[in-house]
Amino acid sequence: MLVIRPLQETDLEDLYAMAQKAGKGLTTLPADRGLLQRKIAHAQQTFNQRCAPEAGLYLFALEDTEAGKAVGISGIQARVGLDEVFYNYRLSVTVNASKELGVHVRTPTLHLSNDMTDTSEICSLLLSDDYHGGGNGLLLSRCRFMYLDEFRKHFSEKVFAEMRGVSDEQGLSPLWDALGSKFFDMEFTQADMLSGLGNKSFIAELMPKYPIYLPMLPDSARAVIGRVHGNTAPALKMLQAEGFNFNGMVDIFDGGPVVEAFVNTIRTVRDSINRHAMIAKKPINLDVPASERVMVSNRSFRNFRVTTVPASCISTDTVSLPPAVAEALQIESGDPVRLAPLKEKTKAAVHALG
Amino acid sequence: MWLVRPALPGDVNQVLEIAGTVDSETARLSSTLPRQREALAEKIQHSQVSLAGTASGDSQPPRMLFVLEDTATGRIHGTAGIDARAGNGQPFYNYRRDALIHASHELGISSRVDVLYPSHGLTDHTLLCSFSITPELRNTDAFELLSRARILFMAGHRDWFTHRVAVEIQGVQLADGSVPFWDSLGRHFFNMDFDTADQHSGLLSKTFIAELMPPNPVYVTLLSEPAQAALGQPHELTVPNLELLQREGFQAGCYLDIFDGGPVLEARTDALHTLVISQSKALHGAVASEVEAAGGDGGDLCLIAAGEGAGFRCTLAKAAGTLEGTLKVPVKVWEVLGKNAGDQVRVAPC
Repeated sequence: MLVIRPLQETDLEDLYAMAQKAGKGLTTLPADRGLLQRKIAHAQQTFNQRCAPEAGLYLFALEDTEAGKAVGISGIQARVGLDEVFYNYRLSVTVNASKELGVHVRTPTLHLSNDMTDTSEICSLLLSDDYHGGGNGLLLSRCRFMYLDEFRKHFSEKVFAEMRGVSDEQGLSPLWDALGSKFFDMEFTQADMLSGLGNKSFIAELMPKYPIYLPMLPDSARAVIGRVHGNTAPALKMLQAEGFNFNGMVDIFDGGPVVEAFVNTIRTVRDSINRHAMIAKKPINLDVPASERVMVSNRSFRNFRVTTVPASCISTDTVSLPPAVAEALQIESGDPVRLAPLKEKTKAAVHALG
Repeated sequence: MWLVRPALPGDVNQVLEIAGTVDSETARLSSTLPRQREALAEKIQHSQVSLAGTASGDSQPPRMLFVLEDTATGRIHGTAGIDARAGNGQPFYNYRRDALIHASHELGISSRVDVLYPSHGLTDHTLLCSFSITPELRNTDAFELLSRARILFMAGHRDWFTHRVAVEIQGVQLADGSVPFWDSLGRHFFNMDFDTADQHSGLLSKTFIAELMPPNPVYVTLLSEPAQAALGQPHELTVPNLELLQREGFQAGCYLDIFDGGPVLEARTDALHTLVISQSKALHGAVASEVEAAGGDGGDLCLIAAGEGAGFRCTLAKAAGTLEGTLKVPVKVWEVLGKNAGDQVRVAPC
């Protein structure tokens, strides 16, 4: 069974192996044991409410209970830009016009901004290659929206995600080469790695502060502004299905887009329902396609757990859970649980009962 | 003889030839000299009003245009102007080239970043402008006369001008007519080619610059390489003019032309070489031609200027000082300057 739970110390080696495999591009999870260890400790403190709410880093592991190992990770950062400065470029338009000459010129312009400061970010999504498919990626990503919904006061009303921008097989980013590298003599992969190690704001301090007029950049660089890396396209699609939209902000290094949504309008949040758990006596066939399954969470802040069950388990007031599922969620009969569709298609089934 | 005198309405046709038709190189090299009859006539008219001194109270600051005339033929071979206040009551645009240090203490990095800031810093400085001369006279004494006569005018009318004086030098333009700096920057915002913009700047009110010029500073490193190379560089045909101005005490500072990136030279008015070395002297009763006729030394070649406002004249002649401190010059100089024995002139060695 695959279960979402808070990340814990024993996940370090699994996490390190995953980060190593992921390689470049996942800046929030570099393959660095010390750093990963600090992240785990931070997450533990967050779940145990031993750090200020705004400093919270909520990291969840996807555990394969049979194999006894973590096979995926996803996270929420309660607030960005408080410890260090959070930078984006805002893609906007400068208009220069002269009536006398009949000239009206629109110039796309990048403005350095800190507008995302104090906003919650969903981040750090990584799923082991062996577990791709079967809705595992959806569970890993969408469980976060259930958490955001349950504990709204710990997060901002709006949440965002930074999507990985375009770079080629050699790790060269057209925007970095045309812009960042002119101010910071470094390869994109190196800058990207440094930023993952927590040096992003240092690098940003070396970046241009005045607006950048896009016509002054080469076409190759302009073409990737607001575009995602091919590998990230599915993640973007998933977030768009949840109601996330490009908000005009792009990454200062690779030009990847920032997408955002208000928590109360996120599809998973809108479509979720409350039930009481009922431990089923008769066996339930859990092995149904992802499109027929729903996410079920135990609604716990400290020990948030989510897994999936067939949508057919849902009744008017209750949801029937096999003992193994109840055990995985660490709940007993009668405990409140929250349910949400795993895929768009299951929405109808949940709604019919809601 | 070569004579520099204020431009007159009757000069329009000849000046137009110099400005636009004699050869395209010359035309290119003075953007502040209008190529349209109407605009030129207006400029000459304004110059006359300014020189007559009747412009006081008018909001328009004085603008003078002088011409270089060959007295033997009456033909005009060049023009030179002075704007008493750069911008003429409106903002005067330049880029100021400056630098920022982008430093990160944590990463141990400190790098210099060159930035072009839109600037009005030279507004109201006195501006030398509208300099043009027929190509065959480049680098001759007449060329020097035309340029430096303006300084003698300033010496004689010092209170018309401010303490600082500037000159814009045309920047790099390639053989195919393209201007690298413009193509890398201005073109994107003005949506027109260089010549069109350049003509507009000479003709229209400068508000179009305010409307179309990018309002934010520009990073030099984002300009194309040819544009970066052209920053602060003079057009090769302006080099003689540049050198002459440097001898006069002008130096390139941090200002650049907003259209072609050419250098703007600056100087302190009271430190201008010609102004410093010029002396006011009375014309000697005897004329030098007698000395010359006797085969004697006629003296050194000098710039000799006389007259106020519209009566200003400046010529080039051999002159000799006398023991009484007066100046002995050939009689034709008297005629050209419209002066007689005992009259005051201003003289500067060539």
